[in-house]
Amino acid sequence: MNDLPLAAELRAHPELSDRPVVVASGPGPRAEIVAISPEAAGRGVRRPGSVAHARAVCPELCVRTTSPAVESAARAALLDAALSCTPRAVLMPPCAGVYAAEAAVLLDASGTAALFRSEAGFAAALCARARALGLPGNVAVASSRSVAHLAARKLRPEGPDAVHVLPTGAEMAFLAPLPIDLLDPDDALAEALTRFGVRRVGQLLALPRRGLGLRLGPRALELIARIRGEATEPPLPVPRGARLVEAVDLEAPVDRLEPLAFALQGLLSRLRARLAARHLACGDLAVTLVLEGGGRDARRIGVAAPTLDLRVLVRLLRHALEARPPAAPVEGVALETEGRAVREGQLDLFRPAGPAPSVLSRTLAELESLCGRGRVGAPRIADDPREDAFELGPFQPAPRTAPRRAAGGAARTPAVRALRPPVRAQVRVSRNRPEAIRSAVANGSVVHVAGPWRTTGGWWSRDERFAYDCFDVETSDGTVARLRFDHLRKTWHIDAVYD
Amino acid sequence: MPPAGPTRTEPAEKQAPAKQGREAAAQRAEGERRQAPARPALKALLRDLGTQVRQGGSPSQPPAPCATAIPAVDELLGGGFPRGGLSEIAGPFSSGRTSLALALLARTTSTEGIAAVIDGADAFDPASAASAGVDLDRVLWARAPRLREALRCAERVLEAHGFALVLLDLAGAGPRIAPATWPRLSRAAAATGTALVVLSAQRSTGTAAALALETAPARARFTGTPAVLEELEIRVSLVRHRAAPGARGIRVRLPASRAA
Repeated sequence: MNDLPLAAELRAHPELSDRPVVVASGPGPRAEIVAISPEAAGRGVRRPGSVAHARAVCPELCVRTTSPAVESAARAALLDAALSCTPRAVLMPPCAGVYAAEAAVLLDASGTAALFRSEAGFAAALCARARALGLPGNVAVASSRSVAHLAARKLRPEGPDAVHVLPTGAEMAFLAPLPIDLLDPDDALAEALTRFGVRRVGQLLALPRRGLGLRLGPRALELIARIRGEATEPPLPVPRGARLVEAVDLEAPVDRLEPLAFALQGLLSRLRARLAARHLACGDLAVTLVLEGGGRDARRIGVAAPTLDLRVLVRLLRHALEARPPAAPVEGVALETEGRAVREGQLDLFRPAGPAPSVLSRTLAELESLCGRGRVGAPRIADDPREDAFELGPFQPAPRTAPRRAAGGAARTPAVRALRPPVRAQVRVSRNRPEAIRSAVANGSVVHVAGPWRTTGGWWSRDERFAYDCFDVETSDGTVARLRFDHLRKTWHIDAVYD
Repeated sequence: MPPAGPTRTEPAEKQAPAKQGREAAAQRAEGERRQAPARPALKALLRDLGTQVRQGGSPSQPPAPCATAIPAVDELLGGGFPRGGLSEIAGPFSSGRTSLALALLARTTSTEGIAAVIDGADAFDPASAASAGVDLDRVLWARAPRLREALRCAERVLEAHGFALVLLDLAGAGPRIAPATWPRLSRAAAATGTALVVLSAQRSTGTAAALALETAPARARFTGTPAVLEELEIRVSLVRHRAAPGARGIRVRLPASRAA
């Protein structure tokens, strides 16, 4: 990709794709222009130049400022496009000089013949997937990394020239007529080569190595090694983890939810595209809002089940923002997530009737966004002697392997309606038994009482120990409740009502 | 009787379609003969599979209502709570509404499929539900922090399709709900064929509910030495039934659940 600043801005703001756009090095009319869109170039805007000069040439020009966060996200997206084609890929470090606006990724295409049939098919697929992520670029396939990199620099980003496959043995013939500038030599070496009249790669290759090394030093020999693909190249790594980040700087601080939600939707759609390219789904979201005045609002939004459903993710974010709006106008937003594998569930003929697994996952994610983390799931009875203990586990209804039978047993109790938190009660006691109750739930004299049943536990820890007596009481107002006396705190509470 | 005459032989072109028709009929008969012993086997298989598989039925038949397995209540309701509609159980504390809801939940999870409990009151007790026979693995419990979230959760669950029963427990929040909420939820339930049952302290669904019960405490029975709470006797009044208008009431001794 030859023009990273422009591509990154157009990727973040696709609505600018048909307009004349320039990317400046900073704010203000004196900022230098770093990149020019084809539409702006067609209107007469040129580099080098300042923003003021460009506006004079093209009054309707749209000026964007370079954003490290946006460019970093674009580079990461380029790597995602590469990883969608092969598991071994690495981003090349940023260049300086003429190729400072370049972004390149190296891929190992070996072993992909079964997927893409040919190297040309592989290159075309990579080019198309990168374009789908908003990153137009060139793809070159060669027998060594350095040669492939050099060949890609020569290509044009549009049309059939965007992809080229160098047959093995034809690399030198392809590179020979190309200018030395493609090698991006440092200034001193470039000046020396120019002084010697060496302007083409073929001319450089024709020079004797020993003499070249003596006159121009090891840097010239490194250039030769790069051209010939003789440099030592360690194997490309398989990236570990799938942490994806998308960020955007807003044109003006936003203090209302709707425009902020619009910006978040754009971020989510780009994040979703990158996850889809790597066959991953969105896990928990880490949202960072850059506030006016330098503050930051960082929050974590749990996603109950990995999903790529944009509607669900947008809803999750909106609920989170509505529940706790940012304290100040927002100047920038960053979204980060850990891509998680989507496990396709095979439908089972004997599975209980219910929503499709993908729909259920989406619904669980939405419910958790509404209720909060850890408040949605399948209820479980906790291994805890306390009456009000419970747990929530993942909701995964499984087919029943044996007919369900009613549990046997002797004790039978009516259904209970829990009170969370327990309601404080004032109790008049007579002969160690409640005689009258006053509370928000039950009031009056105690008509019937059963108990007490003593429950204790957690004696090994000062914070966890508990001891209380439970009574089942019926009060004169008709309420039948479970009354509890806490021996440690000497308080009475009603923690459940029989209903 | 017509005179016998020379036999006319039809041309070959006219003989071919007739011959093909006879062959096709013979093939059909052969196919039916082969399928005949398979049909009882198919019926036996469907019987063994029980409620997990249904043979296709007429789409015009209304779905069977959700029963509570309490005979008196099911008889009062005309079979149970209607699917694809909104129902309400309203009553104060100790009036048996939770017991009715858990009985409905137990019946649904043991026979039909999965259910959801949208707990706007945070009152669902898993131990009590398990004692009532509820299959907890088939219950989705959403502990909504506020009324607005509870209503949204109900909408999301209904949109998902596939839940046989959705219990929406609103405690005493009924009068604070906008009147337009109930028709919207009723339509969502109708679109998915889900039985949506609302638990509330006072009636609030109005005419949007296809069925509404009001419960009131009658008597609590403590038995044994030492005394234990054995059962609740409640009064159940059918105050609204779209298919069978006419108020009527019964007294029910709630089937006490077994301890887990």
